Amino acid sequence: MLKCTLNGREVEVKEGTTIIEAFYQNKIDIAHYCWHPGLSIAGVCRLCMVEIEGNPRLQIACNTVVTEGMKVNNQSAKVKEAVKWGLDFHLINHPLDCPICDQAGECGLQDQYMKYGQYDSEMAEAKQKKHKVVDLGPRVVLDSERCILCSRCVRFTDEVSKTNELGIFNRGDRAEIGTFNGKPLANKYSINTVDICPVGALTSKDFRFRQRVWFLKDAETVCTGCSTGCNVKVYYNREGLFRVKPVYNSEVNGHWMCDEGRDVYKFVNKESRLLDARVVSGVKSEHMTAFEAAKRVGEKLKGAGKTVGLVLTGSYTVEEYEAILSYFKTEVGTDRVFHWINNPESFEGFDGLLLRGDRNPNTRGLVQAMQKHGLTAQWKELTEALSTGSIQTLVVAGPENQVWFPDFKVKVAELSKATRLIWMTSGKSSALDELKGEVTLIPMKSYIEKSGTFVNHTGRAQTIRPVTSIVKGALSLTEVVTAFRGEALQGSEVVPGRSENEVGRGRIHNEFTLSRGTW
Amino acid sequence: MAESKYLTEHYGKPEYCTLDGYKKLGGYQVLEKALKMQPQQIIDEVKASGLRGRGGAGFATGVKWGFLPNNGEPRYLLCNADESEPGTFKDRLMMERAPHQLIEGMIISAFAIKAKKAYIYIRGEYTGPAAILEKAIAEAKAAGYLGKNILGSGFDLDLDLYIGAGAYICGEETGMISSLEGLKGQPKLKPPFPAVQGYLRKPTIVNNVETLAAVTYIIRDGAAGYRKYGTEKSAGTKLFSISGNVNKPGTYEVPLGYKLMDLINIECGGMKPGRKLKAVVPGGSSAPVITAEECERATLDYECLAQMGTMLGSGAIIVIDDSNCMVDVLSTITHFYHHESCGQCTPCREGTGWMEKIVHGIVHGEGKPGDIDLLLKIADQMKGRTICALSDAAALPVLSFVTKFRDEFEYFIREKKSKVRGGQIYAQMHA
Repeated sequence: MLKCTLNGREVEVKEGTTIIEAFYQNKIDIAHYCWHPGLSIAGVCRLCMVEIEGNPRLQIACNTVVTEGMKVNNQSAKVKEAVKWGLDFHLINHPLDCPICDQAGECGLQDQYMKYGQYDSEMAEAKQKKHKVVDLGPRVVLDSERCILCSRCVRFTDEVSKTNELGIFNRGDRAEIGTFNGKPLANKYSINTVDICPVGALTSKDFRFRQRVWFLKDAETVCTGCSTGCNVKVYYNREGLFRVKPVYNSEVNGHWMCDEGRDVYKFVNKESRLLDARVVSGVKSEHMTAFEAAKRVGEKLKGAGKTVGLVLTGSYTVEEYEAILSYFKTEVGTDRVFHWINNPESFEGFDGLLLRGDRNPNTRGLVQAMQKHGLTAQWKELTEALSTGSIQTLVVAGPENQVWFPDFKVKVAELSKATRLIWMTSGKSSALDELKGEVTLIPMKSYIEKSGTFVNHTGRAQTIRPVTSIVKGALSLTEVVTAFRGEALQGSEVVPGRSENEVGRGRIHNEFTLSRGTW
Repeated sequence: MAESKYLTEHYGKPEYCTLDGYKKLGGYQVLEKALKMQPQQIIDEVKASGLRGRGGAGFATGVKWGFLPNNGEPRYLLCNADESEPGTFKDRLMMERAPHQLIEGMIISAFAIKAKKAYIYIRGEYTGPAAILEKAIAEAKAAGYLGKNILGSGFDLDLDLYIGAGAYICGEETGMISSLEGLKGQPKLKPPFPAVQGYLRKPTIVNNVETLAAVTYIIRDGAAGYRKYGTEKSAGTKLFSISGNVNKPGTYEVPLGYKLMDLINIECGGMKPGRKLKAVVPGGSSAPVITAEECERATLDYECLAQMGTMLGSGAIIVIDDSNCMVDVLSTITHFYHHESCGQCTPCREGTGWMEKIVHGIVHGEGKPGDIDLLLKIADQMKGRTICALSDAAALPVLSFVTKFRDEFEYFIREKKSKVRGGQIYAQMHA
């Protein structure tokens, strides 16, 4: 450990720590744009200027390593003047289009200006014109005039996604970010460039113009898009969820998340949800609350024995598995529980960065729960039982993310051979709507509306908490079991976010947490 | 004192640029001597000679060589022939008239620093010198001065010519390394310095053409012999490129410490008839300008010019007489740096353009009363704020021109015309 003094405060840092890291570790503000803890050092924005005792020239904090006894100051008049001018240089050619810019409200330029600037610009000359609305790829749009050329996005594609799509073309104040001919920004992690863009130059096609950020609340949760379980923040208001951003966790996802994981919120919003329960019997179809429908099902299930089968997907929490499995074993009296695996051929796949072939947040939790209850039934037994008619009532839970179950329609057709089908899911689907015979559809809560634990592919247990309520009356599996038993539900209060000890070690040890996403 | 033809002794002889002619005039004899010395002896000799980098920064060459780490990694020697500082054309002359002089200096230097691979990075516009060098390198290879086991010494050296694409910034040593690596010509963040991690992240020494050529002479005459020329702290001779309003512009070799006015009046034949000296930019366009009065006191060595707040730089002396409007001159200079900024660091990328626009506005009669102070503020904030020195190079002329010739700028802004040339517009002046 080394001792150094930051703004008069003596602190200890590990050897090899840069000055900017020392400032962050000690929660002292320091202006910067190009530096990002997950990327290499570029040293180009020249904002993180500090004064080091004994050195007449200001130094950049990001590329200067702390030495024993170093006295660093970023509050001196000289530094303040340099940062103020550094901002002015960034702003002279920057368009004043904040009112129509998506970044407004979470913009590095706005934030730093309020903290370190607050002057009147003396730039009276014509601004540099550059390309607007450049289509970089399927998910990202560039506005070159807003770009401050911090090169974070270029470094991301070079160092993290290793796809090298982006480059800086031309030089001087004519320089612009761009892609090479015929090679769009189309990697599976492209929206991370939008997250790390400190200004409104890169915007996500999915999110742009849809909501002003100050109308959104945010809460931390876990991505349910695959078995990695990236730590994320969801942004929402009364209308539903608008976007997902990664939250730093050194032990899970680092600073990043994949583009597909960002689509998970779409399965949660009302337009793709099953809104109430439906009981179909022949030509008769009746709508009712989920609780009522589950209660009726429960009356028939109790003690029905081995004529009942249960199909589970890896979409649910450990607590829900425990509730439903013990109910089926002891109160229904069946051990015919089957694990529905999505895309078996790519199930073990991994793209080398974050995305896994197992598109379930809790496969491991399900497997553990089934082992605990001694449930070993294989899928082919279900196929046989359905054709011989030895299973008459089939209860299915999930999947929650239907798009990543390519065999969804095939499975619906296969499972509908059961005399009575009870299907519990949060998502609506035409395949389910078209089912004939005796069918009960029960709307489930999404991961945004319930609490519980997911066990990711490494065996790491991660807690989720209810963020907001989207479909009133939807149930978790635990609540379904309560309804099966005919017991009353206890009102669950929605408390957004997760407490520090629920989040786990990797998160707490994050040295670079800022108030907002991965900034 | 007068012109000293030391490095340029045989430059008048056309045969000097062929291998045979060069050898007849004593070429490659020093190499034979050097290869029998210990590499460290050569480094010590260069250190003792007081040779300083001739590219512009004036850093002690022997000291630079001493920074190489002893970690067993391959080392590279790069010759910086990207002579791009406006006003400089001495390396061009050296490569055209004496390509083997450079090659011999490079072999000796590579032997001293134990590099087995060397490159000459030449600017793209120098097609003529590049062709001459190509031929000379081929001759040297055929004669066994390059390649394996040079002159039976066991020392191997491979030398290649690399032609740049013509960017000012590739004359900055790390910008040059980026370019040589096939990347965009942008300076690299320091530390690490090239001596530790340079070309391909291996220990690398980058020296100017004139510096490397001088090494041969230091080994030939010894440090003491070399020190016969120049001053205590600025040893040796230096080639100066004189351009502007003198009767005989060109490249002249004089010992360091030579009087600036002597160079103008004796070597260059004085000012054009009827004209008076107004100012001199002594070290390439990035060097702060000095007034005629300061010129009287100026001697051409690193110390004197540094004391006057300017620099010797690459030895490019731009002589400006009283027919020139200083606002025009600065307009050209600011345009150049705006055009050449690599765009990496914000203060330089944005500041160079901003300053050009302001000066351009003044020249076009659109100057505003606050412009002069604003220019000074911008330039001041660009100084010492960036990865490389281009930002300083752009800021220093602005600071010096505006400070020393403030009346011309004020007049232009107030009267909407030049104090020197009247109402004629800039474009007509330079048509």
